[in-house]
Amino acid sequence: MTLTANPLRAGPRLSRIPEPSTLVIFGGSGDLSARKLMPALYNLALQRLLPPTFLVVGTARAQLADALFRDELHKAVSEFSRTKPINEEVWRSFADHVHYVSTGTSGGYGVLGDTLNRLEGELGMPGNRLFYLATPPSAYGPIVHGIGAHGLARTNGWSRVVVEKPFGNDLASAVDLSEKLHEVFREDQVFRIDHYLGKETVQNILVLRFANAIFEPLWTRQYVDHVQITVAETLGVEERAGYYDHAGASRDVVQNHLLQLMALVAMEPPIAFDANAVRDEKVKVLRAIRPIATDDVPNTTVRGQYAPGFIEGMAVRGYREEDDVAPNSTTETYVAMRLFIDNWRWEGTPFYLRTGKRMPKRSTEIAIQFRSAPHQVFSRESAAGLEPNTLVLRIQPDEGISLKFGAKVPVQGIRIRSVNMDFVYGASFMVDAPDAYETLILDALRGDATLFTRRDEVEQQWRLVDPIIDAWRAGQIDLPTYASGSWGPTEADLLIARDGRTWRQP
Amino acid sequence: MVVDNVIWGAPASGVSALERELARLRRARSAHASEQGHTVARASVLNLVVFATREVHAKRAARTIADLSQRHPSRAIVVWVDRPGSTATDRLAMHCDLPRADGREQVSCEQILVRAPGDAGARLASAVIPLLLPDLPVFLWWTDTPPFDAPHFDAMLELADRFIIDSADFARPELSLKRVREVCARGSGRYGVTDFNWTRLTPWRDLVSAFFDVPAWRPYLDSITGVRVGFTVDADGREVHPSQALLLVGWLASRLGWLAAQSLAPSEAGGMLFSMTRGDGTRIPVRVRPRFERGLEEGDLSGLRIQATRDGKLAEFVVKRAAGNAHVTTSVIIDGSLVTERVMPLSAPRVGDLLGEELTIVASDHVYEDALAALVALS
Repeated sequence: MTLTANPLRAGPRLSRIPEPSTLVIFGGSGDLSARKLMPALYNLALQRLLPPTFLVVGTARAQLADALFRDELHKAVSEFSRTKPINEEVWRSFADHVHYVSTGTSGGYGVLGDTLNRLEGELGMPGNRLFYLATPPSAYGPIVHGIGAHGLARTNGWSRVVVEKPFGNDLASAVDLSEKLHEVFREDQVFRIDHYLGKETVQNILVLRFANAIFEPLWTRQYVDHVQITVAETLGVEERAGYYDHAGASRDVVQNHLLQLMALVAMEPPIAFDANAVRDEKVKVLRAIRPIATDDVPNTTVRGQYAPGFIEGMAVRGYREEDDVAPNSTTETYVAMRLFIDNWRWEGTPFYLRTGKRMPKRSTEIAIQFRSAPHQVFSRESAAGLEPNTLVLRIQPDEGISLKFGAKVPVQGIRIRSVNMDFVYGASFMVDAPDAYETLILDALRGDATLFTRRDEVEQQWRLVDPIIDAWRAGQIDLPTYASGSWGPTEADLLIARDGRTWRQP
Repeated sequence: MVVDNVIWGAPASGVSALERELARLRRARSAHASEQGHTVARASVLNLVVFATREVHAKRAARTIADLSQRHPSRAIVVWVDRPGSTATDRLAMHCDLPRADGREQVSCEQILVRAPGDAGARLASAVIPLLLPDLPVFLWWTDTPPFDAPHFDAMLELADRFIIDSADFARPELSLKRVREVCARGSGRYGVTDFNWTRLTPWRDLVSAFFDVPAWRPYLDSITGVRVGFTVDADGREVHPSQALLLVGWLASRLGWLAAQSLAPSEAGGMLFSMTRGDGTRIPVRVRPRFERGLEEGDLSGLRIQATRDGKLAEFVVKRAAGNAHVTTSVIIDGSLVTERVMPLSAPRVGDLLGEELTIVASDHVYEDALAALVALS
C-alpha cells in the first residue's frame, strides 16, 4: 500500500521525522557508540526528532544484560552529551527501548534476528533497520556476512548500513570492502560517514556557491589565480597512534576530508540538492583531477613528520617519541601537494592542499585567491599595500567568510590598503550547532544520502592518493621533519614558492 | 512620563544625530573590546520594530531583543506611544543604545527608542522609516491588541514584511481574531502574519503529526471520530478565551478538510462543545475543556486526545502535559491497550523563545493563515 504524504506535516516549522525504525549498533559497547552515537541519539530524543516508535539494539561480543547496558550508556551519555545535565525522564523513556544482544556465540546472529522480530512485532513496526558498523574495519566482513546469512536485512521495511571511515587503506581494500557490503546491501543502502560533511559550515559551501548569483561567475580559471585548502590541527596523535602510525596524514585526512573539500569547492552546480545529483558532480570533478605521476611526486608533494617543539607555550614531544609509535617510524604527519583539475572551468589553476598535526593553530579553511586587477591604474607607490582579492571560507573555528579588497586610506592623496570584510557565521546566526553525528544519523534514518560518500567517490579518491603513497614508500623521497608549532617543513614553502606564490597564514 | 536614560540611552535630536551617536557607541565598544583582546562584529540580519503603549511592555521587549541579539542580530526600534488622550508626553523623542546580552558581546545589537505622544498618529511612520536599515526584512511586533481602525496602524503595517501579535494578550480574542484574519487577507503577497499563540503550538503540532508519520497509523487520520483539547485556567476559574486550543482545532480542520457543522457554543461543564464534519459527511464532536493546572500560563494547552475508528478498532492518540513539570507524555492506545508511550521535554516557552522562532521565518506561514481562517469560520 502506498501512503500519501502526512497532511499535518506541512508549513515552515515542522521538521521531517524519520519513519519508525530500529538502529542496530555493532560494536554497541565500544568507544564510538559511547562517545558519539548514544549522545547523538539522546540529543535527538531531546529535540523530539526521533519517530514515535524507535528501537536501539546494541550488539557486541561481550555478554551483557539490557539493564547493565543501559547503565553503561547512561554513564557515557552523562559524560559526553553536548547538553548537560541529563534529563532523566527523557533518558528513561528513551532507554526503555534500548536493548542488547550478544553476538559472541555461534548462535548470536540468530538470537539477534529473533530479538529484532519480537521487539518490532510488539510495537507493530514494519522492520525498518539501520545497521551501524561501529567496529574496527576488520570486523566489517564477518558482520555483513552474519547479517546476510541470517536474513536480518530482509524485512517488510527498508534496511541500510552505515560504515565509518577508513573505507579501506588503498584502492584494492576499498573495492574489497564495497564488494563485501554489496553481498547483502545495494549501493543505495550503503551510507559511508565522513563526519566532515555533517558540519554546518561544510554544507554552507554549497549554499554560498549555489544560492548566490554573484560568486559563481567568478569561480573559474579566468578570475581565480589559485586555491589553497588547509586542514591544520594542533593535536598530535594522542591515543590514536596505533591506527595513525599505519595510516599517516595522507590516509587519515587527504584521501577523505581534503579531497572532499576540494570537490565541494570545485564541482559544477548540481541539478538539485539531492543525493545522486550532488554526488554525481563530486565524482565528475574528482575524476578530472590530474593524477600525480610517480616521477612528479617529488616536485608536487611534500610530506613531513613533526619534531619536538612548542604548542601554545607548552613543550611537546616529537612524533617518534610518542607512545605506540615506532622510534624509526616513517609515517607522515604533514602533507602538502599541488593538484590541477583538467576540465573547462579549472584548466591551469593550481589547488594547493595541506594538512598537518602539531601546527601552530587549529584551522580549516579554503582560500580562493583571485587574479590581480588587469591594469594598474594607481601608481606603484600608492598601491604598495594592495594584495590580491581573496575570498576565504573558514570551516573551523570561527566559521565564516571573509573577502579581502583594496580600499583608500583616509587621508589626502591616494594610498591603498587591503581590508577584510568579515562575515562571521556564528555572529549572524548564533545557535548551538548540532553535532555532526546528529545530522548524519538523522539523515541516514530518513534515507537522505547527500552528505555520505558514494563508492565511486571513495575509489576515485584512493586512485589519486595511492600512487603518491607508493612513491613515498619506494623510498626515493625525503621525509623532512618540522618543529611542532611551525607551519610544516621548509620544503612545503619551496613547493609553492616555485610557482611564485606563498602559503597563507590561516 | 520621563524616559529613563539608563535604560534607553542618551537622547538624540534627530535621525542624523542618532546615527552619529550609534557610530560613536560602536567605536567605543570596539575599542573597549580590543583592549580585552576580542572583537565586536557589527552584523544585522533584520529590522525589528516593536510597538508598545506601556512602558513595562517596551522594557520587556527591549530586554528580550537584547538577549536574542547573539542569534538574531538586529536593529531594534522600540516605538513607545501613549494611549490616545494621554498627556504623559507632548513631543516625539529618540534615544539610542547598544545593549549588552548577558555577558556576551561578540555582536552588538542596536536599540533605538522612539517615544511619542498619544496623538502622534500618522507622524509615527515617518519617524520610523529613516531608522530602518536598508535591504533587510522588517518584523513588526505589536505588544497589545492592535488598533485595527487607526490610520497609524495601517501606516506601520505598510513597512512590515512580518507582523507579529500575541492573541493570548487580547482582551476580546473572539472579536479581534476576526480582524487579524482580515489583516492576513489584505496582506497577501506583501506581508505575513503570525501569532505567538500559534508559535506556542509548534511542539504540539509536531507531536500530533508524529503519530501519523507511522504508516500503520496514518489511515486513522481519515477516520477521526472525536477530538478533546484541554486548556489551562487559574484556580478561581476566571473566564479565559481558549483561543490557543481553538487554533489547534482550526489547524486540524484546515489540514484535514473538516467544515464547521455548528457555531461555537459554551458548554454547561465549562469550555466549549461543538461539532465539525469530515469530508465524508461524518460528524466529529469537538470538546474544548478548561483545566486547572499549576505551572502553566492561562490559555496554554494542557492535553489533547484524538479518537479514531477504523476496521472495527478504536484508536486513541493522546498527548498529556504533566502538571507542574516540563514534560509531555504521548501515548497510543488501540482497543484499550497501550501500544507505546514516550516522555519528551516540553517546557513553557519564554517570550524570547517565541520571538526567536518567529524571526527565523521570513515568508508567510500559510498553514497558520489557513488555521486562523478555519477558526474564524467556526465563530
